[in-house]
Formats: sequence, structure tokens, C-alpha cells
Amino acid sequence: MIAIKTLPDWAALLTAFLVLAGAALTMIGAIGLVRFRSFYERVHAPTLGATLGIGGVLLASMVYFSVSETRPVVHEILIALFVTVTTPVTMLMLTQATLYRDRAEGKAPKITDAPPLPADVITPDRTGVRQD
Amino acid sequence: MPDAKLPLTLMLFLPFASSAATALMPAGARNLVAWLAGLTALAVFGLGLWAAPEIYAGTVLRAQYAWLPEYGLNFSIRLDGFAWAFAMIVSGIGALVVLYARYYMSPDDSAPRFFAFLLGFMGAMLGVVISGNLIQLVFFWELTSLFSFLLIAYWHHKDAARDGARMALTVTAAGGLSLFAGMLIIGHIVGSYELDVVLSSGRTIVDHAMYPAALALVAFGALTKSAQFPFHFWLPRAMTAPTPVSAYLHSATMVKAGVFLLARMWPVMAASDYWFWVFTPVGAATLLIGAFLAMFQQDLKGLLAYSTISHLGLIVLLLGLGSPLAAVAAIFHMINHATFKASLFMAAGIIDHEAGTRDIRQLGGLYRAMPITATLAMAAAAAMAGVPLLNGFLSKEMFFAETIESHVDSAFDHTLPYLATLAGMFSVAYSLRLIDQVFFGPEATDLPRKPHDPAIWMLAPAALLALMCLLVGVLPTWTISGFLSAAVFGVLGALTPEYSLAVWHGLTPALLMSVVALGGGTLTYLGLKDYLSGAVEGPPLLRRLSGKRLFERAIAMLSWRWARVLEELLGTNRLQSQLRALVVIMVLAGCWPLLAGAGFSPAAALASVGVWLGNTWLSPRWLTSSAPMVGMFDPALLLVWAVGVACAVGAAWQAKYHRLVALILMGGSGLATSITFVWYSAPDLALTQLLVEIVTVVLILLGLRWMPRRDELIPDDQLTSARLRRLRDLFIAIAAGCGVAALAFAVLTSEQTATIGDEMIRRAHPEGGGHNVVNVILVDFRGFDTLGEITVLGAVAITVFALLRRFRPARDSFAAPDQKRFQTEYDSTRYAPGKDPINAHYMLVQGVIIRLLFPVICAMAAFLFMRGHDLPGGGFIGGLTFAIAFILQYIAGGARWVEDRLVVLPVRWIGAGILLAAATGLGALLFGRPFLTTAFRYVELPLFGKTPMASALSFDLGVFALVFGATVLMLIAIAHQSIRVYRTMEKASVREKAAARSRGDV
Repeated sequence: MIAIKTLPDWAALLTAFLVLAGAALTMIGAIGLVRFRSFYERVHAPTLGATLGIGGVLLASMVYFSVSETRPVVHEILIALFVTVTTPVTMLMLTQATLYRDRAEGKAPKITDAPPLPADVITPDRTGVRQD
Repeated sequence: MPDAKLPLTLMLFLPFASSAATALMPAGARNLVAWLAGLTALAVFGLGLWAAPEIYAGTVLRAQYAWLPEYGLNFSIRLDGFAWAFAMIVSGIGALVVLYARYYMSPDDSAPRFFAFLLGFMGAMLGVVISGNLIQLVFFWELTSLFSFLLIAYWHHKDAARDGARMALTVTAAGGLSLFAGMLIIGHIVGSYELDVVLSSGRTIVDHAMYPAALALVAFGALTKSAQFPFHFWLPRAMTAPTPVSAYLHSATMVKAGVFLLARMWPVMAASDYWFWVFTPVGAATLLIGAFLAMFQQDLKGLLAYSTISHLGLIVLLLGLGSPLAAVAAIFHMINHATFKASLFMAAGIIDHEAGTRDIRQLGGLYRAMPITATLAMAAAAAMAGVPLLNGFLSKEMFFAETIESHVDSAFDHTLPYLATLAGMFSVAYSLRLIDQVFFGPEATDLPRKPHDPAIWMLAPAALLALMCLLVGVLPTWTISGFLSAAVFGVLGALTPEYSLAVWHGLTPALLMSVVALGGGTLTYLGLKDYLSGAVEGPPLLRRLSGKRLFERAIAMLSWRWARVLEELLGTNRLQSQLRALVVIMVLAGCWPLLAGAGFSPAAALASVGVWLGNTWLSPRWLTSSAPMVGMFDPALLLVWAVGVACAVGAAWQAKYHRLVALILMGGSGLATSITFVWYSAPDLALTQLLVEIVTVVLILLGLRWMPRRDELIPDDQLTSARLRRLRDLFIAIAAGCGVAALAFAVLTSEQTATIGDEMIRRAHPEGGGHNVVNVILVDFRGFDTLGEITVLGAVAITVFALLRRFRPARDSFAAPDQKRFQTEYDSTRYAPGKDPINAHYMLVQGVIIRLLFPVICAMAAFLFMRGHDLPGGGFIGGLTFAIAFILQYIAGGARWVEDRLVVLPVRWIGAGILLAAATGLGALLFGRPFLTTAFRYVELPLFGKTPMASALSFDLGVFALVFGATVLMLIAIAHQSIRVYRTMEKASVREKAAARSRGDV
């Protein structure tokens, strides 16, 4: 990446800061993934990368391309939007799968202690999803 | 010489044309089809008469059409005297048989079918005799086998007819294959398949080193066709055919094809001791055994069948002797046998038709009831026995004379006259028995029907043939000599010897032999009469020697036991061993050039591998690390690769007991590949790889559900043999993997000069109108390849669908997985059944998000597709993305939910895709350009601005549709599996409940 030398200093500094911040947050998330003990704890760590980490990198990208191409480049917002919307899907599925397996094997925290499942909280008539 | 092309062509194709026309006629049109068939036979006969003057003058008529001239193959018709004589017999007796069959076949039988087969057979037989090309001859030869099969099995509701037909087809068609091989060798020796060239090749074939092979193959073909010992057994079994068929095929035509061929090849193949030792003993054995067995048959047609075998043996014996005079006798006997045997078969058919049985023991004293039939049969039978003043006597006399001559000096040659006389005695005995026990003696009282002479037109064909026997026998020089000399000249040409057809040759040894045969035969019959009238079925000595049983055993051995053994040895139902074989062969094929280069010595092979490794890995270029090598060693990429390799190794490690883990790790290594593509600026490949990776992993994941459970507690898995097997598989896998990696590395590091890639990059925009070279190559430069590939993809998808449609999982994977059971239990305590699963489902949040994303992904697919020509994307990528949108819906809502709302018809997408792509390619033809030429230009679209519009876009749309359809089809195939299995489980439980209830009631 030679092109960063052509940017004004403030933009170069800002880009560098954002990229490094994003990368650092992702790194922290990765370390957390290794350090935490149980699966339920581990689930939380990588979300750092998926939210703030990617946010930093995307902001850096917006700054860099907007300045270097001298026009507002904002399609990173779309990326951010889709990442934000889809990451929870994976996380929820993983967690629930683990919970089910643990329950099936009798290793799960007791149902009374555990936070209620989403299906427990939201009754069918309140979902707004079409009913047959 | 008149232009023979049209008449000869008509001669060959008229029967086939009539056969086709007959087959299309209504079943009731008996007279019409009979007239058509008869007139066709007469027309061919008339064409033969038209050619007669030319043939008598010794001319050979030819007609030739170019077929594959560059391979020396032409469609040629060649009519010389011999072929002409046979064509006259085939068409003449054919016409008589048609007339006879018209009255023989009952109104219940389908006349069009019968006459269509008969005409087809006539055409095939004419094809055999007048073919001017060896390959063409074999073709018609096999066609006769086929039509004979159809004719023998005409009454296909009878088991015996079907079995007999199958046996006849197996034996004669196997012979045909052998003959084909023999003809190929002869064609190779002579350098041409044209009969003219072959016949004028002199001693070339006999002197060639491959002569014995050619002789053996041709002999097998001819001997099976002419029912020679030990292949004779099919002919008696073929007697289940309607009698007109026997009269035609098993006297005059089909079985004569073998001896016809031997006579045809006689001038160029007979001048060798091999020829004598193959055909003379076989002919002698057949002559004797056939005649002996014929005496003991109780079925009228069985007797005639064995007698036919015997007479064919006589002809083969004569041809085997190798002297021109014997060949003359053989040809003469072919003609005579055709006349008297056809007549006898017709008589036998009349008796069967009128009396209702063919069992000689039941028949008797029929002379009074049917005097005309009896007279005709007597004349023909006397000819068969070789009684003087009938045609059979003349050729038999020649035969006796020839056996006395010395040919190949040996004990066998010297005993031939005695064998011939013995066979003559048997022949007289069975002929006598036929006449005496059927027409004379005490009148039969227990016949199924009251016998009487049949309609005049049913008698006429037999009468005409019997009359010919008599005329030829009394006045040979006036009747047959011209016909015979034409036929003989056709075979022997300049070799034609002097022969005399006189009835009286003076007191010769041959005459003595005839007298002994007649007297001895009469005595034999009288001696055996009481034995034969008894209820014994079959001959006394050879009853055990049943060729039929041997054949059946051989067939059982071949088609059942050996097939089983082979299947056990080579076949498997297990996917593992099939894949193992595939990989091993791939490794061996990869090693082949290395091993071949090293002269197959393992040490040298290793050395060569070492040298090769040294050259590629340790070359100076590598050490001096030129520019591209630096890029390769970027630490970040190396890290990605390390992860990818770890994933791949882990996948292999876990594949046995933890399939899910293995699958996830496989996805990980796929991601590493994808990142590598991004790294080296191949976004198109990266995108494709990513999507393929996603789809593959998801589809396999869905399939994993149906795999049987594996765990480490299965005892068989811990056996030493199992461990060894896994070790071997590991070794194979490592060899294959390392081999592929080494090959890839060798290709990547080899010196690259100007490649086609540069050329394509240069031309992509000016000629293809696109900036995305990959896409331009796919849809334009290599459009034809792509068309082929998508066709394969579609076929694969349909195959997967077909396989999964009939797939029944193992019992132990029927039950729902624990998690699913758990969830259902949990839900059933809270929610009413039959609701949208998403409400009562742990997938609530995810499900809603996935459904909301559906239009977004579809838009993305369209976007990727549209921009494909200039930027990464295109039909393949777009189609996969579109498919992923659907896969997600299936995952979120289940197959039933999705299919209640969305109509996806993947097979139509596949079809439409192929059609669109092909139609786009064909569109270029309209503009006078070659297939798949692309046109392109920029168009101003209202909303999008300047848009590139290439006709390739429409092609790419086809790719899009096909990829989408194929992927979704596989998805649906897997998804429906679960629906079906639960349905069968429900049914089973309902059944069980019902059974339990009924038990309770009782």
C-alpha cells in the first residue's frame, strides 16, 4: 500500500488509527476466545471483532477512499448493516445448539436457573409473523 | 451389360420395404398382407429371372454406393452365379412359403406380424447372399439371426417357443460375432473388405500367418449357423416355430447361410490341410450323429430337424474335402436339399394341421385319409433317402463318389466311404420310417382331429417342390444343369471341373454304396420298428449326450455363477472401495510417465523423482529468489495457508467419527483457498470458490443427517485388519495428495513463456466486449466448453435427484436426532400443533432475519449477474447466490413451509438454462456467423445509464438459470428426504397401532 503517502497527514493518521483500533479490538476478541473457559463465555468474545472491530476497519476504509477519490464513499455502511444483521444469527444458532446438546446430555444449567429461551418470552400472537 | 444398379438395389430393399409396410397394416388384413408378401417374393424372383441371361453368360452384376469410402467400406451388391442361385431359392421358396403360410396360420394369429418378420428375414437372407462387402455380409448375417429369433418365438405365449428362440439367437449370434472377427482378419490380410478383391486374392489368405485364426473364427460362425455338431442342438429346439418358418428357415435359407459362406470362401480358404481337418471331421460327425438321432425322433418335425442337421453335415463334409468336384456336389446338394426338405416340412405341417398331432407314434394309416399329401411326402422322402430317379440320388451319388477319392492321405480319409455308407443307411431308415409309420400301418383312431387333404392352395407349394425333385431326378440335364453350372461357376470360376449329371454312370463303386445304403437302411428300419413304436423318447445310446443340457449348463455358468464370481471379485456396493479404486488408478496414471521414463525400475524411478524435485525445488532460480517467489513467502499468506493446511489435515483426522467437525474444517480450508485467490488478485475465482464452498458445506451438512451413526465403540473397527485397511488408505491418500500438490507446484514454478492467457487478456475487450477476462472466456471465447459443462452440471443434478428419490436411509438413522426430539417435546407442551414452525421454534430471531434477507440476496444475485461481463460476477456466481437465497429459506422454515409459498421448478430452470444458452449460440447462425459468436454494444438504458449489452449476456443468463436449477434440485432432493422418511414412519406407526388394535379385539 504505497498510496497512503499521497493522503493528507490527518487522513493518513485517522485511517491508521481506525484500522489499528479495529484490529486491536478483534485481537482482544480472539484472545478472549482462547482464554475463556466455557462455551457460553466464549461466545461473547468474538463479537468484539464483529461489531467494534469491523466498525473500525470500515470507518477507516470510508475515510481512506473518500479522501483519495475525493468523493464520499459510503457503501461500507451497507457492509456494516449486513454484518450487524447477520452475525447475531450465527451466534444465536450456535448458543442454542450448545444449550440443547447440554440439556440432552444432562450437563446444562437447570432450566429454572437458565435464562428463558426466546420462545418462552415471545408468545406466538405477538410475533407479527404471519400465522397459518 | 445393362445397368444393374436399380434392379439389384430393388432386389435387396423390396422385402424390407414390404416388411415395414406389412407391419403397419391392421391385424385383420390377412389376405392383403399375404398378397403383399407373395408379390414381393415373386418380384424378387422376377428380378432374378431378368438377370438370368447375364448370369448364365458368366457375368457378375454389381451395384455400389459410397458409404465410408475413406475406410474402404462401401455398400455394395454383387450378384454372381452362386449368389444368384441362392437368391432364386430364397425368393422362390419364399413365395411358396408365403402361399402355404396363408393357409397354415390360424385367423387368431396376427398375420401382419408374421409376414413382416418373414419378409424381413427374406431381405436379410438376400442381403447375406448378394452382399459384395464382408462387413455388410456379417451385418445381414446377424440380421437373419435376429429375424429368426422373432420368427421362432412367433407364438411367444409358449415357453418352449421363447426358450428355443433364445437358444437359437444365442448360438447363432455368438457365431455371427466370431464371424465378424474372422472377416476383419480376412479384410486385414487382403487389404479390402470388397468381396471381389477377396475372391481374387488367390493364395494370399491361406499363406498368411493369421490364416488359422481367421479360419477358426469363420468356421465357428458358419458351423453354428448351419447347426453342425456340437452346435446342432439349437435347431431341434427351434422346431417350436410355426411350420412355414421351419420350411423356410430350417430347410432352405437360414441354416444354409453357413454352408453358403463356406462355399463362398472356398476358393480362397480351402487350399489348406487345416480346412480339411476342421470341416471334414465335423461334417462327418454331424452327418452320422444327425442321421442316427433322426431315426429315433418321435416328433415329425424333430425327425426332419435332425435329418436337416445330417444333410448339412454332408454338405460341410463335401466342402471340407477341398476338391472342386466335391464342391460341385456340395452346391448341388444345397439346392436339392432345399427343395425336398421344404416340401417335407410343408407336408409335416399339413399333417399337424389336419390331424392335430405330430407324434409319429400316434399317427398311422393316413394314406387313406390324405392320399395327395401322402404321395407328395413319399416323393420328397424318397429324394431325402437318395432313391434313384429323384434329385437326392444324384447329389448323393456324387457325394459317395467323392468320399472314395483320396484327399488328405490318412486313416480317416480311408474310412470316409464306410462312414458315408453308414450315414446313407440311417438316412434311408428314417425316411422309410417317416413314410411307413405315418401313412401306412394300422389306421390311427385316437387323433385329435379327423384328417383329410387340405385346401388345394396349401398343397400346391409342396406339390410344386416335390415335382421339382422328380423332374430334376429324372431329367437333370434338361432342368437343373444350367442353374447348377451358373452357381458352380460363381464359386469356382476357372477351377470348374468336368462333371456329369447323368442318372446312370454305369456300375461304379458309388452305385454299389447306394445299393448297400438302400438295402441296409431298409433292414435297419425293419429291425428297429418295434423298438421305435414303443413309448421310448430319444435314441438309445446318445440320450445322455444332450447338447441342450450342456448349453443350458454353460449359460447358467456364464450368466449366473461366473457373473456372480466376477461381481464378487470386481463389483461392490460400497462407495469407499469404488473411490479407493478411482484414486489408486489416478495415482498410477500420474506415476506412469515417471515410471515409463525410468524404464520401470523402482530405483531409477525414485532417482528420476529426485532429479525432478532437485530441478524444480532446488533450482538456482529458487535460491536467488526472483520477484514472484517473494510474493509467495508473504508471512500473512503463509499464516493463512498454515491454517488452511491445519484445517485440511484436521478434516482428514476427524472424518471417521466426527463428520460434522471434519466438514467444518473442510470449509475452513476452502476459505483459505478463497483468501489465496483474493491475495493474488483473482476476485472472480475467490467469489466462486467462496460460494461453492458455502453451497457444498450446507448440502453435505443436510446429507449428514442420513448417515448411519459411527462411534469408536464399534468392535469391528478395532480389529487389526481394520487398522491395516485404514493405514493403507492413509498411504493412498497421502500419495494422491502429495502427487497432486507436486504436479500443481511443478506447473506453477515452471518457466512461463507467452501463454494463451496473455492473448485472451489482450483480446477480451476489443473482441468480447468485456473487461472481465474470466467471464469473457467463459461465455464467449470458450462458450462451447461452457455449454458442455453446464449440460454436464444439469445431468449431474438430475442424477443426484434420481438417486436420492429412491434412497432409503439405514434403520438406525430413521429416528429424529436428539435435539429435534427435545425441541418437539418442549414445543408440544406450549404450542398448538400445526402452527408456522417459526413461532414455536427456537429459530425465531434467525428465521425472521433470514426471511427478510431473501429479497436482498436475490437483488445481490441479479447485481452479480449483470455486472459479470466487466467486473467479478457472472452467470455462475449469480446463479449460486440465487440458490443460496433459497437454501437459507429451506433452513429457516423447512421444506413444507417454503414450498407452500414459493413455486420452484428446478428441472424447468435447468431445461430453460440449457435451451437459452444453446439458442443464443444458434442465434449467431442467423447472422451467418459460426455457432456461439457474440455480438455486443453499449445501450442507453433509462435507469442504469450506459450499459454493455452483449449477446453473451443471454448465454450467461442460461448459465445462471442452469446453475440455480441444478443447485436447488439437489437441495430439494435432500430436503424431501426428511419429509418422506417421517411420512413412512407415520404410516408404519399407524399400521402398528392398527395391528395392535386388531390383536386386542381378538
